[in-house]
Amino acid sequence: MTERRVTVASPVGLHARPAAMFVRAAAATGTTVTIAKPGKDPVDARSLLAVMSLDVRHGDEVTLTAEGADAALDELAALLASNLDAEPAPNA
Amino acid sequence: MAVQVTAPLSGMAVGLSEVPDPVFATAMVGPGLAIDPERVLSTVVAPVSGTIAKLKPHALVIVADGGRGVLVHLGIDTVHLDGEGFRLLAAEGDSVVAGQPIVEWNPADVEARGLSPVCPVVALDALDGSVAELAHGPIGLGAPLFVWN
Repeated sequence: MTERRVTVASPVGLHARPAAMFVRAAAATGTTVTIAKPGKDPVDARSLLAVMSLDVRHGDEVTLTAEGADAALDELAALLASNLDAEPAPNA
Repeated sequence: MAVQVTAPLSGMAVGLSEVPDPVFATAMVGPGLAIDPERVLSTVVAPVSGTIAKLKPHALVIVADGGRGVLVHLGIDTVHLDGEGFRLLAAEGDSVVAGQPIVEWNPADVEARGLSPVCPVVALDALDGSVAELAHGPIGLGAPLFVWN
């Protein structure tokens, strides 16, 4: 099990837009990734409903966990450490 | 079990592609529809029966029986209004029935602040092709909006 701890940088936290971008990236890893807030159970990082319900605010430290998949976790951690709300949305 | 999602607002039902936010417009958040609301003081009602999983002044998620979450986002970039102009009529964790009042707001005020009052109504974590019978054009409060199969 691999873990990354990261502080969420988006000023508005993981609300609809940043959450959607993060969940899309987590799903693209092809592996099971969870995200947790301190004191709360980890939830499926590939579920927008689960991630939005987690209510992650700006400055919260979250823990990402996956089986192996170091590079994928690094990418996801980097996403959360960036200001997702300021970046242009990807061309889906 | 199919879930009938009904209009949380009255206005014009438009495709998500018309939402001025690429993350909604490309259905990254999920499939669904948007409502271009009437520019009057309005009550936003629950689009499905279920539990209020998330309630912010500018956005709400209701989880229907079976665990399906429907997101209603009140305008675009309205998170930056910090709740100003929104009045909550329910609370997170409440059980609600479709049509029950959740938030009061005035889309005209949002528009006057330079923001789009268009409201995406989205099926969260929905599989591709699972949303059907999408409404189009003028829609009344509580009218059928789409079916989530």
